[in-house]
Amino acid sequence: MALLTLKGIGKRYRQGELEVNALSDIDLEVKEGEFAALVGPSGSGKTTLLNIIGGLDASSEGTTHLNGIDISGLKEAQLSNFRLFQLGFVFQSYNLVPVLSALENVELVMVLQGRHKNESRQRAQHYLELVGLKNVMQRRPSALSGGQQQRVAVARALAAGPRLVLADEPTANLDSENATALLDIMHTLSHEEKTTFIFSTHDPRVMDRAERIITLQDGKIVSDELHEHEH
Amino acid sequence: MTTLTHSSMLGRLPILIFVAWRNIWRNPVRSTLTISALASGLIMVILYASLLEGMSRQMVHFATDISTSHMQLHRQAFIDDQDLYATLPWSYMEKIKQDFPGLNISPRLYAAGLASSATTSTGVLIKAVDPKSEPEVTQMLQHVRHGKLDLGIADTTASGFTRYNLVIGAQLAKNMKVNPGDELVLVTQAADGSIGNALYRIAAVLKPLEPNFDRMGVLMSIKAYQQLMYLNEGFHELAIKVNELEQLEDIQAAVMNRMNQLTRAKPLDELGGQPVVRNWRQLSPAVADLLELSKSFVFIIGFIIISLASLGMLNTMLMAVHERTHEFGILLAIGMKRRWLLLMVLFESFFLALVSALVGSLIGLVINDYFEEYGIDFSQSMPDGYDWAGMIFEPIMKGHLLASDLFYACIMMIFITVLASLIPSWRIVRLKPAEVMR
Repeated sequence: MALLTLKGIGKRYRQGELEVNALSDIDLEVKEGEFAALVGPSGSGKTTLLNIIGGLDASSEGTTHLNGIDISGLKEAQLSNFRLFQLGFVFQSYNLVPVLSALENVELVMVLQGRHKNESRQRAQHYLELVGLKNVMQRRPSALSGGQQQRVAVARALAAGPRLVLADEPTANLDSENATALLDIMHTLSHEEKTTFIFSTHDPRVMDRAERIITLQDGKIVSDELHEHEH
Repeated sequence: MTTLTHSSMLGRLPILIFVAWRNIWRNPVRSTLTISALASGLIMVILYASLLEGMSRQMVHFATDISTSHMQLHRQAFIDDQDLYATLPWSYMEKIKQDFPGLNISPRLYAAGLASSATTSTGVLIKAVDPKSEPEVTQMLQHVRHGKLDLGIADTTASGFTRYNLVIGAQLAKNMKVNPGDELVLVTQAADGSIGNALYRIAAVLKPLEPNFDRMGVLMSIKAYQQLMYLNEGFHELAIKVNELEQLEDIQAAVMNRMNQLTRAKPLDELGGQPVVRNWRQLSPAVADLLELSKSFVFIIGFIIISLASLGMLNTMLMAVHERTHEFGILLAIGMKRRWLLLMVLFESFFLALVSALVGSLIGLVINDYFEEYGIDFSQSMPDGYDWAGMIFEPIMKGHLLASDLFYACIMMIFITVLASLIPSWRIVRLKPAEVMR
């Protein structure tokens, strides 16, 4: 059974006098544990699609089901709960709360979920160790490199135990070495934690790590292929 | 995997408070400036409240201790018309003394007359007191500027006539160009209709206490008054001082009740009217109103000062919310509810206000200590104090800070500043995470 099902998703918005079709006729199914990349040129609708899947934006038409829940019909507070318990997010940059340490940033979502402080602390430490940041847990984001910050964001997304992690251009601001390291960590954890990852990118280095590549162009899916992973 | 489905506000308070506290120190310079502005506003309110309370205490002191005392007993006709014949029998005073042993009482008599010195004449208000019991109800006789307080017999003339001492007001002495030791002739219409006149010696000049007495007042003993006025039947006024001011109204009612019993047992003549007991608030309604007004002033001025100071807070929070829009978008995206975010920002304002309240209170208390100890000294320019709203104030304006004023000023500051931060917080409520993260 698919974890995520999109049916007839369309997104239109007005830009002055013009009506822009950001997405149209998107049908997509993603199974549990998949490590899928949304690729395409800038303006192809990758971020818009991720926002609709994440409940950050509403579609103009169609339905989105995640884990059996129709998120198109959820109210604001229900959407917050949905994101808090079902989803993990990794954004392109400025992912972290600057006044909190790496450890506190990872703990934050779990504390908001209502987990016990000790449990949150242990899980946060565990996931920061998994992403290789055992020695910098107490540092604030300003004392971490861009790659380290993105790894903290990945640890935060996974520590909360989501069904699906959405990553919007997670490597866009990273150098080649950090980008591949981050993707390797995400891929490994996806398998170990059996967590589904969907990430948008137009970076060929990142595409190589994906198991499935969904290509968008002008707001439409133009190809959807399984990709043989090199590792 | 742990299953979690609920997300109540209460359980998240510690993390929201923790993040809010960290956030206020994100930009230490800006936070310090905001705290300085708010604390300065609070200090001004504290000092204003303290000085106003100091003045209020002087007003109460003026209204009670100088000449009025806590309560007064009169007959209605004396209140209405200063009727010379509206006296209460001396037996009434004895009854009060007997039935209310805890009260201090002192009788008084009044008349109008003409005073003449060697060079000038002027209209005067004659006030007769009992020099022994008067100090138990007021401090009037303690405020001598020149001379020695003595309301007894000055000397006896060759013809065997007794001359009494007088005490007069400072302005009257100045106007009549007389000093202690000088003679003064008083002419008045006595109670029996005859012209009463006598020669007196000025024993002392009083400091300015009441503007009226200062300009027109002549103080003498009751014996001297009775000799001048041929009025022996009773007294016009009985000043009453209570030990516990909180029980004033109860005692007033009890004394009034006793007076009614006495008049029922032996009715007084109708012309003089019934006995009336009034407390100092009723006797000096202007002072009582001013006291009430001063409380409102503290609130109004405090509100204005703190509102102005909280504009700094409004600016800080507007900047903070504007700068952190992307961050708020991230927090909303990862599942933080808007009301939690709103609460977190309100906590930031609350903490800024709280720190400002602590700093402002501490500095305010230190400055207030100085004001309470030394006050603001106007004695160089106004050695006799200053006359405001018909009252004479001490030349040194001292503060007196009430704990309740400090508490309410802090609460008001915290309330107004948190309220001011609702405006920038409103932006958070309308924030669309997908838009702010583009």
